[in-house]
Amino acid sequence: MSRITGAIREMQTIEESASRDQWVNRIHPLVKFCLTILYLICVISCGRYDLPRVLGLALYPFLMFELSGLPFGEALYRLRIVLPLVCIVGIFNPLLDRRPGAEILGFTLTMGLLSMLTLMIKGILTVLSSYLLVASTPVDDLCAAMRMIHIPRMIVVEFLLIWRYISLFMSEAEKTEEAYLLRAPGQKGIAMKNWGPLLGSMLLRSMDRASEVYEAMCLRGFTGDFPAGRIRKAGRRDLVFFVSFAAGILLLRIFPVLVLVGSLFAG
Amino acid sequence: MSHIHIEVKDLTFAYEKDRKILDGVTFTAREQDAIGIIGANGAGKSTLLKILVGLLLSFEGTVRVEEIPLEKRTLPRIREKIGYVFQDADSQLFSTSVYEDIAFGPRNYGLPEEEVDRRVRLALKKVSLEGFGKKPIHRLSGGEKKLVSIAAILSMTPDILLMDEPSAALDPRNRRNLIRVLNEFDHLKILTSHDLDFIWDTCSRVILLGEGRILYDGNPEGILRDKKTLEESGLELPLSLTPREERTPSGGQ
Repeated sequence: MSRITGAIREMQTIEESASRDQWVNRIHPLVKFCLTILYLICVISCGRYDLPRVLGLALYPFLMFELSGLPFGEALYRLRIVLPLVCIVGIFNPLLDRRPGAEILGFTLTMGLLSMLTLMIKGILTVLSSYLLVASTPVDDLCAAMRMIHIPRMIVVEFLLIWRYISLFMSEAEKTEEAYLLRAPGQKGIAMKNWGPLLGSMLLRSMDRASEVYEAMCLRGFTGDFPAGRIRKAGRRDLVFFVSFAAGILLLRIFPVLVLVGSLFAG
Repeated sequence: MSHIHIEVKDLTFAYEKDRKILDGVTFTAREQDAIGIIGANGAGKSTLLKILVGLLLSFEGTVRVEEIPLEKRTLPRIREKIGYVFQDADSQLFSTSVYEDIAFGPRNYGLPEEEVDRRVRLALKKVSLEGFGKKPIHRLSGGEKKLVSIAAILSMTPDILLMDEPSAALDPRNRRNLIRVLNEFDHLKILTSHDLDFIWDTCSRVILLGEGRILYDGNPEGILRDKKTLEESGLELPLSLTPREERTPSGGQ
């Protein structure tokens, strides 16, 4: 199986996870969307040296992975391309800022190391929480939820079409790669000189297909709005879920829970 | 006589200047018609369907669908009446599951969820795919995808069904299933196809297009048995109407 085919399968698996009949999947999409946004704001707003608070916020994705039944290891594997990129951010901080920062178990962490770790963990947590949202909510429901809180139609439609376009582009890439390799036996991958024309034709073909998909949507009454009827009204269970998790996230953001727990044990 | 559903008058269309794909095409289609549009590659069959459904609007001439003139401002009304099945089912199916895809149209027309559910189940029953609702689209075979794309249109209960090359890439079982579905659809349907056996099995009227013009418009017997005209238009007699001794291609063993 080629890498492109593998990527397509992984995307399809994410979509299948989103359509599972698990209780996290059944939570109202607007609740999950708002919680994710709240979580992202809380994580991003943590200070650059605020490692304990950021580590405390890691409880939310871990708990959600546990509750949703989504395998954590699989998520890390799927995000294997994004996560290293996220980790690169701040990689030079330890060299640039050598002031002593915190002391853990007798070791002194420099401010640079502290900021690098904070940035890395912040990046990983934001990616994981976004993954959790996408892997537990069908993309159409997510778009409908966005429209419910009046996010501009243009942004929502753009998001939906990009999501669909990624799959189309990858399936065109898969076909092009297969056709190429079948006529280039013994060659490892695509030769550099052929990348230009192949990429051009892939783009054109995927754009043709994308416009056909858009036409198919318009022919079935799509006007850029997502009918309210497609998702049920939020119920008591959704409200309880939102209030408890939002409160938890805010507590973790306001209080450095790990430091407090540590100081309890340290007396 | 049933009333006219589609009226096309002096329809001319060109993708590029001075290269007309359709040139003065005129015909009417009535409620119970089952029209097969045939012609060689590039004869303008798919273009004609795309115009009828409003995907190509830069044409000359007039097109009226149930008395409504086809123009940009009338598109939503016209598209409620016409269901169009794409040649490539992959272009038409974009949702994660079969159920979601079939429900897409009815939901967009603001139907209550109970009615959407009823229509999805009925459409799946019509194409004999009951129990397929939860299946992810990418796990379907080519034939199943075609049938789901038809179910997606049937769930919108259109007055007119347009299908571009419906029998392409179907195995015999799915092809028979499709013929049954089409013959059960008792409103106007217009199909394009190179598969003349399929046209013979499903259509009560045939329009032959060639060089952008209508070369024949009448009952299937009048054209599908006319070997000379078919061959002049780049087509061949349907296999089922070809005498057994003539079925071997010239020069064959």
